[in-house]
Parts: sequence; C-alpha cells; structure tokens
Amino acid sequence: MKLKVEDVVVRLGSRDVLKDVTFEVKEGELVALLGPNGSGKSTILRTVFGVLRPMKGVVMLDGKEIGSVESAARILGYLPQDTPITNLKVLDIVLLGRTPYMSSGLRRPDESDYGVARKALEEVGLEDFADRVFSELSGGERQKVMLARVFAQQPKIMLLDEPTAHLDIAAQIEIMEIVRQKVEEGKSAIVAIHDINLASSFATHILMVKDGKIVYAGKAEDVITEESIRDVFGAEVSVRRFGRGVYVVPKLKPVGGQKRIHVICGGGSGQNILYALAEAGFRVSAGVVNVLDSDWEVVSELGEVIDEAPFSQISDSAHERNLRMVEESDAVILANLSVGWGNFRNLLAAKYAAELGKLIVVNGTPFNQRNFVGESAERIYEEILKKAIVVGGGGDVLDAIRKLLG
Amino acid sequence: MRLTAIIPLLLIFNLLAVVLALGVGSSGYNQIFRILTNKADDTTKTIVFGYRLPRLLLAMIAGASLSASGCAMQALLRNPLAEPYILGVASGASVGAALSVALSIGAIHSRLVFAFFSALFTAYLVYLIGISSRFRDQTYAILLAGVAIASFFSGLTSLLIYFAAQSMHKVVFWLMGSFSNPQWEEVYFALPITIAGIAYLLITSWNLNALLLGDEHAAAVGINVERYRRSLIAVVALLTSATVAVSGVIGFVGIIIPHTVRMMVGEEHQRLLPSTILLSTAFMPAIDIFARISTSGELPVGAITAMLGGPFFLYLLLRRSI
Repeated sequence: MKLKVEDVVVRLGSRDVLKDVTFEVKEGELVALLGPNGSGKSTILRTVFGVLRPMKGVVMLDGKEIGSVESAARILGYLPQDTPITNLKVLDIVLLGRTPYMSSGLRRPDESDYGVARKALEEVGLEDFADRVFSELSGGERQKVMLARVFAQQPKIMLLDEPTAHLDIAAQIEIMEIVRQKVEEGKSAIVAIHDINLASSFATHILMVKDGKIVYAGKAEDVITEESIRDVFGAEVSVRRFGRGVYVVPKLKPVGGQKRIHVICGGGSGQNILYALAEAGFRVSAGVVNVLDSDWEVVSELGEVIDEAPFSQISDSAHERNLRMVEESDAVILANLSVGWGNFRNLLAAKYAAELGKLIVVNGTPFNQRNFVGESAERIYEEILKKAIVVGGGGDVLDAIRKLLG
Repeated sequence: MRLTAIIPLLLIFNLLAVVLALGVGSSGYNQIFRILTNKADDTTKTIVFGYRLPRLLLAMIAGASLSASGCAMQALLRNPLAEPYILGVASGASVGAALSVALSIGAIHSRLVFAFFSALFTAYLVYLIGISSRFRDQTYAILLAGVAIASFFSGLTSLLIYFAAQSMHKVVFWLMGSFSNPQWEEVYFALPITIAGIAYLLITSWNLNALLLGDEHAAAVGINVERYRRSLIAVVALLTSATVAVSGVIGFVGIIIPHTVRMMVGEEHQRLLPSTILLSTAFMPAIDIFARISTSGELPVGAITAMLGGPFFLYLLLRRSI
C-alpha cells in the first residue's frame, strides 16, 4: 500500500504548521521523521491519520483519499506521543485495537478479536502480561503494550509518534527492532524520533523537518551531514560514517584554547585518540604515518598529517618535519603502535618529545609483543617511559593531557 | 473477581433491598407475603404501593443514574474523583427549585419541572462555555466552567432562600437530598429518562475504555471522540437533571459506588458499569431504609451519603494509587 502526501498545508489558528509537505511511503519502508521539538513531526502524523484536516493538499492511500477516522483506523495504526496512565488491564488495552472491526452499535470483542490481541501481545514479547495492570508496568513495557494495540488494528501503515521517548537504550532498540520486523513483513511505518543514531540504524529513509517543511529527504548516509544537522537542529556535531551507517556525536567546546596535540601513531593505533582529541576541541596532527594507513585516513579528515609513501621507511625529511611538529605542539602522544624498522624513527621522535617534557605514552600491549626491532628499541622505550606520563589505554589520554597542560 | 460471581451476588443484594424497603415498618414482613397472595387489606396496599414502592423506585433511579453518570464522567475526564454534578446540574436544579417556591408556584410538579429544566440549562451553559474557551483540553475547560457556574448558582440559591425564608424549609430539605414524600408522578417522569440514559451508557461502554487512554488514543482506534463526548455529556446531563429534580442533591454516590466496584472488577467498563449500576440499586435503598428507621423522624439521605463519602474520599486519597 502506497501512502502519498501531496502539497499539504495545515493551519492551526493563524499559523501554518505544515507548509507544502510532500512525500511518499511505499511498502517495506521505515521512514524516520527527524526534527527539533515543534518542527511539525507530530503534526505530519496527525494529518496523515486524519485527526487534523489539511487546508490544502491531499493525503492519499493507493490513490484514494482517506475517509473518516473510523475507516482510517483499519489501515493506519496511529500511536500518539503521550503514553496514557490507566489501571486498565493489558489485554483490555490491546483489545481496543480491535474497535474498528467491531459493529458500531454494542461493541464487544469476540473470540477472533481475543485471538488477534493475544497474538499482538506475543509479537511484542508480552504474552504473559495479559492480566497485568497497565499502570504497574515499566516504561518500556507500557510502550510495547501500546505497540501491541497498534498491531491488533492490523494496519498497513504504522504512524508512531516518538515510540522510544523516555526509554532506556535497551528498550529503545527493542521497540525499533519490533517495528522493523513488522515492516519487513510487508507493512510500512513513519516514525517520529529524536535520536538521530537510532533513526539512521533502523530507518530505510529519513525525512528532516524544519518549521513545518521537509527540508532533507533520502537515505540516512546521504541526508545526515554536519550541514543538515546544523541547518535543521542548529547543533554542532561531527558525523562519522561506518560503511552504510551514520553516527553523530556532539562537537564539544574547545578546552584550554586552541592547543596543539601531536600523535605519533600508525596501523590504527591512533584513530580513537585522534577522534577524542578532535571532539574535545584540540587541533590535532599525526606523524609519521604511511599514506593509506587507517590512521592516515582519520587524521587527513581531522587535521595535519606528516606522511610517508605507502610501505616505505621514514625518510630524513619526514623525520625532520615530525621533530618540528613535536616542538610546535603543546603535548605529544605516543600511541600503542607496533615498532618495526620502517617506523623506528617515530620512537626517536617520541624520545625527543619526552626530553622536552610533553610526552604521554599509551602503554596498552606489553612493548615486547609489538617490538619487531629488537633490544635497541627496547632500551629507547624504557628511557621514554621514565620521562613521560604513562597511561594504560586511549581512554585515559584526555585526563593525562589535562594534567600535563594544567 | 469474576463477573459471573459478582452479578448473582449483587442481584441477591437487590432482592434483599426490595424486601427490606417494602417490608420495614409497623405492618411487618408478613404483609409482603399477604400482598403476594392477594390477602392484604387496603391500608397495607396503600402503604406498600402508594408509598414504599415509589420510594424504593426513586432510590433505585437515583442510585443507578448517579453512579452510572459518575462512571462515565470519571472516564471522560480521566479523573477518578470526578462526580456527576461536575456539569453544574446540582446548583442549577437548586436555583430552579428555589425559584419555583419563591415565585409561589406551589405544586410539586412545578418544582420538578423548574428544577429539571434549570439543571439541563445549566449543563448546557457549562458545556457551551467550556467548548468556547481557548483551553487546549476542552474537557478540563468544561470542568472549570462547571465549578464557576456552580459557585455562582449556589450563591443565587442562598439569596433566594434568604429572601423567601418562610416558604423555603421544603426547598432546604429537598436540597439535602431525600426520598420522603414519594410521588408516582416523579417515578413516571424519571424512570424512562433513567432507563434510556443507562441503556445508552451500557451500549457505548466499550468507548469509555478508549476514553481512559486519552482523546488521541481513542481517535487512533477509530472513535469519533468529539461526537461521543457530546452525546455522553448530554446523556449525563439528562440523567442527573432528572434525578436531582425528583430527589434533590445526593452527593458522593457517583464516586463511592464506582470505586468500590473498581476494586472488585477493575477498570474495564463492560464489567464495571453493569456491576456499578447493580450495586447502586441495592445501596441507595439501603441508605434510605437507614434514613427512615434511624430516628423517630427522617434523616436526609444526602447528609448520610455525604458523611459516608467524605471518609471514603479520604481513603482513596491516602490509599489507592489512581
């Protein structure tokens, strides 16, 4: 079943709360509505369901306009934002989802209604909760009961208004997992949601809403960018990509002004440290790393890099630049890197930094397990450890920097 | 508790109430059996048919319509402490009754007619003000309008009573709520309204469950909330206006009975509403019997229910999580 929203304008009072909203949802699609509070996400859902009537434009299902709320309830499973507080039993609430299928006179659930309701409870994993009192459940359980109510309606399209609000991370994932499963069975869903990462993990499509307009639409990896989030939410974030996934983290305000931190790394030993430093607002550099090394990719994105051709030994000029960078930086970090003849000179650069009193060493794996040079490297490393601040893992680096820089 | 267990139990209570209400008094219980076997004398027949039976029916009418209306209002307002007089019908009826006496239109029917129509008018006024307000939640606007109008009208009633002090003792006693001096005309008037109103509530009781979840959720399962709310308010206004017109202001019944039943059968209205009605049709006559026999004269029923209701209200406040 295809839902088509075309040029919809909704006016509340004298204000246009939706302005020319147009989008489509097809079978098997899970569309996330992203946008700040008051941007119009709920209004879109309420208009699609028919609680609000558009002043202009149409909402169509397979080319036909939706009639009354009564007939809409068989096709559209609408879950409003607020979770009710009631002492009704769980099964009684789920049975309410059968209302659109009961005769309009004396409405009473029959055997088949009970069957559908119990199956819906099973689908959300609450088959043993039928006789429990709703108000005594946890937040996550309540939301799952409300979802079961939507399932009992056997809708083609689900309209879920912040189904994960106020839930812990496990419950959030569980709810979205249940919704995704339902969508994969051939339904579709429009989900208003606040968590961008959750949206990008579960949604097939993203609609970003700002001031009652849809300003970005498409797949998560295309739509969610630092610019779009700044534009829609007015928030400064870094967007990281892992394959098809998108991951948003806040950009923190710079600490201690624009301090420079140089990271001696390679082979992926520096990437997490580099991200953490960049997010904390430091200007970062790294060296000497080989071109196309994973650390090289990260630092090319985040800051300055001193690099060497792939699979080549550190040349005199690269080493020289590395030493200059050590001098210019406020702190230097020696990552938990493996040392071979190719990057042996990085150890010498680190020793230089240690002598200048600004070295932090990440000593995670015992050095003898990542030393492929031999005794000479061993001796230099021991000397370095004596003059540096030593931390056990990349996570402690920020604390060490704060200590070092005062 | 299962419905199949509670309904027979409540029916037994009702039967007991009928026997007590018709039998208590100087003539003794054996008179009931004489009536059943058609051996009673005319005096007994007059007492039972002309006095005790209409009195019993009025008590049952008041109990059923007040408790069913209470149930409905509690679901509509999603507030367990809402009572049927929230629409201002009690104060509206009082003004009407006081007015009929102040204008010296003495007959009992004029009091009934005045009270009924001024109660209905008040409910309509409260509803109109409520839905014209700028409140986002109109149901609460209606509640607040009810409080304001009720306060204004009880002031008006007090003034009427003050200025027509001599003839007002009857109105004052009526205000306290009572089934004394029962008339068959009152039964003929209130019974059809009560039966129709209660039938409507019973038939639509499924929708009341949906209302408990909130307007948006009720709409989500396909209920036309606006239309249902309007008819619900109209039915409650009719039921309570008819009751208050025949038996005065009897407070707290609309809260005590539904809550007692909730503790036994839960919130679901297809169980709650019929059980509530059946408990009230036994409870109200029982209170009335107590009012009849506890003193040499008669106690006002409204005063007894209020004295029961106050502590019960506090119990709900302190003990129940609602």
